[in-house]
Amino acid sequence: MSLWRIAWSYLWNRKLTTALTILSVALGVGLISAVLTLREETQRRFEEEGQAFDIVIGAKGNPLQLVLSTVYFLDAPTGNMDISIFNELKEHEDVVAAFPIGMGDTYRGYRIVGTTSDLMDFTWGDRTPYALAEGRYFEDSFEVVIGANVAEDTRLTLGSTFYGTHGFVDSPYAEVHDDHPYTVVGIMERSGSPNDRAIFCSIQDVWDVHDHCDHHHEHGAECDHRRPHDDITAALIKLASPAIRFEFKELVNRNYNAMAAIPIQEIQKLYEQLLGIAKLVLLAIGYLVVAISALSILIGLYMAILQRKRDLAIMRALGATRGEIFGAVIIEAFWVTLLGVGAGWLMGALVCAVLNQYLVAQVGFHVSAVHLTADLVAAYSAVILMGLIAGILPAWQAYRTDVARDLAEL
Amino acid sequence: MVLLEHVKRRLGPGVTFYCEHFHAEPGARVSLFGPSGCGKSTLLNLTTGLLRADEGVIRVDNEEIQNLSESRLDAFRGERIGFVFQTFNLLAPFTALQNVIVGMRFADVVPDKEWKARARAMLERVGLGHRMNSKPGILSVGERQRVAIARALVNEPKLIVADEPTGSLDPKTAEGVMSLLLELCEQEGVTLLLVTHDRGIAERLPQLFDCTDLVKESQS
Repeated sequence: MSLWRIAWSYLWNRKLTTALTILSVALGVGLISAVLTLREETQRRFEEEGQAFDIVIGAKGNPLQLVLSTVYFLDAPTGNMDISIFNELKEHEDVVAAFPIGMGDTYRGYRIVGTTSDLMDFTWGDRTPYALAEGRYFEDSFEVVIGANVAEDTRLTLGSTFYGTHGFVDSPYAEVHDDHPYTVVGIMERSGSPNDRAIFCSIQDVWDVHDHCDHHHEHGAECDHRRPHDDITAALIKLASPAIRFEFKELVNRNYNAMAAIPIQEIQKLYEQLLGIAKLVLLAIGYLVVAISALSILIGLYMAILQRKRDLAIMRALGATRGEIFGAVIIEAFWVTLLGVGAGWLMGALVCAVLNQYLVAQVGFHVSAVHLTADLVAAYSAVILMGLIAGILPAWQAYRTDVARDLAEL
Repeated sequence: MVLLEHVKRRLGPGVTFYCEHFHAEPGARVSLFGPSGCGKSTLLNLTTGLLRADEGVIRVDNEEIQNLSESRLDAFRGERIGFVFQTFNLLAPFTALQNVIVGMRFADVVPDKEWKARARAMLERVGLGHRMNSKPGILSVGERQRVAIARALVNEPKLIVADEPTGSLDPKTAEGVMSLLLELCEQEGVTLLLVTHDRGIAERLPQLFDCTDLVKESQS
């Protein structure tokens, strides 16, 4: 019978108290696990998607907004840029592929993205983010290919028709382009990317829908009286090498009335600056919960030691050394913390699994809830260390057992 | 087997335990008799090393235990002494079998592979073969004391110390437990020191040591 077994038996003997202590550790660990996993996983997925294109070009403004709107379909575009810039840059010797992007409408909140059909053939690494599950790519006017989330949510199928709504907000008051019905000709495979939430059509369709700008906005300031096809919203650029991203970005920003942004750089800045603080705050809360749990381990064990002074004295009378008694109590603290970490990891995975559903719907990303990263290992080790430290005082109390007095007193 | 000479221990302000001479031969069965507070249990605690003497010599199984380090004394106790207490002192989370095994685990004199078989055999000997997997909470008081006797004897110690082993038992159960204890000690050839304030119990043992004057309060 090992000390581990003896420690376990005493924990089992006070199941309710042990379970509550384990739960309190698990809550803290669950929070830490969820924060670290979601942070790591979303950053990993954002960065993966950010690697697809080296440069995004759009109207001058906030580069992060440009990246979020063009690559992740999350934010409003920064404005429009002259298509001549795109045409010129497309011919640049360092550009391997360039795709125009035109946006302005949505359908039930899903963005209608106008582009050229060659984007649908774009692959990177082993990814085929525009692969079809059924149907075909758009060829004729007002034909669209829809992402997996769009198909699932809107129940659009091949042959379905719908009208786009002006703007990027799903509002019942938004203008519906009911003179230009779109027809679904293809549904994409689920790629776990922002494409799952997008509707792709020819950029010509986007221009055609908005060609009557003057008519609809004759009193508004939005229409600049240019023909729509003089403008595009943004452009996605693949360069000959990622090493020349910064150089190319400088080239565009210095010489053109447009702004270039490197998606991966903008995402890393977002995580380091804005989300970094949020992560720190949430982690601090998680560790605070764990610290409180450690205190409850300390109190729980201390009270347990007081209650079983006689048992400790008996063990000492039977030949147990002070070291063995100390070790048995530390092992109890270890068991509680270890089980708390295990339960917390499960709770964190559960939270991630639930939030994954939300992320799939909102961003199109799947996050894996069971990655054991270096950060998580470090956090779990820190929690176990805190648990062991919490066990020291009760273990010391047990260590100092006065056998003759405790056997006589109780 | 057990020898105490000029053993002194201060128990509190003005209260001192002093034993000029106590001697028990190997295999002897001695009752330590006297009223409450006379120093019977202190004599037992000094003999087992649970209390350290301030002065004098305590020799148990040819070992002067007052000179042993604490860790050596722990080991000595586990190897050579078995305890039987008035309130049984079984460990609540463990079954009867496990309680006996715990006795071997800390004494560390029996190879761990033999623990289970030996504990079973010992429980059979005390008539608890059918209660091995019962926890102390559901055993009768007599059964609990039998488990305690099994635990005390399982390491084949040289000395058994029993502090009022029948103090919590009804007369009939006490009679059974006493008979069992005496019989087993005789079979094993173990020295028995038994503390009791009950003259009837005390006189059942071949040798009686009167503890009446061991604790003295100084006039100050």
